[in-house]
Amino acid sequence: MSSVPALRTDDLGKRYGSTWALRGCTLEIPTGSVTALVGPNGAGKTTLLQLAVGLSRPTCGSVAVLGRSPQEQPRELLPRIGFVAQEHPLHRGFTISETLELGRRLNPRWDGDAARERIDRVGLPLGQKVGKLSGGQQAQVALTLALAKRPELLLLDEPVAALDPLARREFLNSVLEAVSESGVTVVLSSHIVADLERVCDHLVILAGAHTQLAAPIDGILASHPLLTGPRSDAAAVARAHDVIRESHTARQTSLLVRTDRHVYDASWESHEIDLEEIVLAYLGQGRSHFPARETHAEAVAG
Amino acid sequence: MIWVAWRQQRTESLIAAGILALLAVLLVPTGLDMASAYHHAGLTACAGHEASGSCGDAVRAFVSRFEQIGNVIAWLTLVPGLIGVLLAAPFVLQLEHGTHRLDWTQSVTRGRWIGGKLGLAIAAALLAALAFTLLMVWWRAPLVHLQGRMEPGIFDSEGVVVFGYTLFALGLALAAGALWRRAVPSLVVGFAGYFAARLFVETWLRQRLLSSHTATWALDRAAPANLTHAWVLTGYPSDKSGHVAALPCPGIHGPGPRLTLLPKCLATQDVAGYMHAIYHPASSFWALQGLETGLFGGVAVVLIAFAAWRTHSHAA
Repeated sequence: MSSVPALRTDDLGKRYGSTWALRGCTLEIPTGSVTALVGPNGAGKTTLLQLAVGLSRPTCGSVAVLGRSPQEQPRELLPRIGFVAQEHPLHRGFTISETLELGRRLNPRWDGDAARERIDRVGLPLGQKVGKLSGGQQAQVALTLALAKRPELLLLDEPVAALDPLARREFLNSVLEAVSESGVTVVLSSHIVADLERVCDHLVILAGAHTQLAAPIDGILASHPLLTGPRSDAAAVARAHDVIRESHTARQTSLLVRTDRHVYDASWESHEIDLEEIVLAYLGQGRSHFPARETHAEAVAG
Repeated sequence: MIWVAWRQQRTESLIAAGILALLAVLLVPTGLDMASAYHHAGLTACAGHEASGSCGDAVRAFVSRFEQIGNVIAWLTLVPGLIGVLLAAPFVLQLEHGTHRLDWTQSVTRGRWIGGKLGLAIAAALLAALAFTLLMVWWRAPLVHLQGRMEPGIFDSEGVVVFGYTLFALGLALAAGALWRRAVPSLVVGFAGYFAARLFVETWLRQRLLSSHTATWALDRAAPANLTHAWVLTGYPSDKSGHVAALPCPGIHGPGPRLTLLPKCLATQDVAGYMHAIYHPASSFWALQGLETGLFGGVAVVLIAFAAWRTHSHAA
């Protein structure tokens, strides 16, 4: 595996009018990983992915994909990226086979056999008009189009948001299959946290247009214990560790902390909690810092 | 890219072809009818001296039979606008639906995509303009032979102006679409703008593109040869130096066609006088065609370039 990261941003920011859709985003996603990009609506997930695929230009900072600039070197980079946009827009008047023909015509690297084989596997007739397919089937066609490029990096923007639970599961299974077949690096954004742990091994939390966390999921679980203890001692913990969320009952305090060390203080009891709860704690934190304006940012960015 | 662009504008291109085919179905029978009437009446020999003797009656009979249809046909001058706007639709619809993102995230660069799409739309528009012009010129040939092709309503489906008109409608709808990314308002603005621009040019601007000619002649003589098939802006009874002479006949003052009333008026009043006319001679046809085509075509190029630039730099 090469040492060039699949996606690297440095103080990346994008402003639409007077609203920052993404700001101060610095992160690195290694090749070979399957990374979930989570955050509330308006956190800048779509903006980040559009910057990565060259659909928009950064206002400030820089973005490099597979070591190249998506804005300056689209000719070299585009053939190596597969992208499925939010709501997977397809030409509704095209048949599936015409959609694959579009892929063949617009991509120098194109695996038509694999594409037809995939369509066959998910049980869709090639002659069917894309506009007549269900949301889940359209998502599969869009994914097929992206995978037939034999991409090194697959970017999926909210691929399962509009799908019912069964279609969501099938779609994510397809992604996993592609990963095991070709070892493609995947970055997928989602505001649905469930299911991600099964699919992903890295997590990036975007909240309030800032990156909050970017790390392997194993590490995140290990470094985010929930501490419970007597009500009075919270300040001492806060001095030594980042407190992500703090809640109190009459006699007891619960702290979700981020720490790379063991918490030795005997007055605190340490528990492991699941990924969803950690993510929600971060999202809650982001929301309190940046109220109201986020939904607006998503509307502009989308 | 060409295959993709063609597939994406196939429906609209076929509709445009359908409109032209429908036109042909309407025009070909009357056109054949008119051509054979023209031939049978032996009018070929009359061109150039329509007013004289036996030719005069034959020409009058022929023109009065087909002029009415010609006036209706003049409305077809809206068709190039319709086709231009129609061919802009695939591009604007793609921006509205967001499917340009699908194309732009294949391996083709944005510049090539825009070039392919707009290039094909322009090519289709030029082809449609060519077909429209050929059809109209063929249909109107006998009338043009007798009446010339300078009058508004005839001028604008002859020569090369239709190319400019079609591109203008295309460019306007594309520019509006690149700005708003909404198909319906863009196409409406494109067509309304086409109509307004055509109306402005036809009623005000065209006659000012070149300086007009004037002629004054005695009524008992034939009109100057220069006036044959000319576009007469105004003509009125005058004194020897071309100043308006008041005549006691109602309805006599006004543009070209009313000149035919004049002899009757003069016969009853027993006045010997002069006629004065302001006109563009038939020899100005190509100069006017060139200017008007350049005007519409030039604006179209600016609009299409704007649409390309705007899409390239602003769309995401």
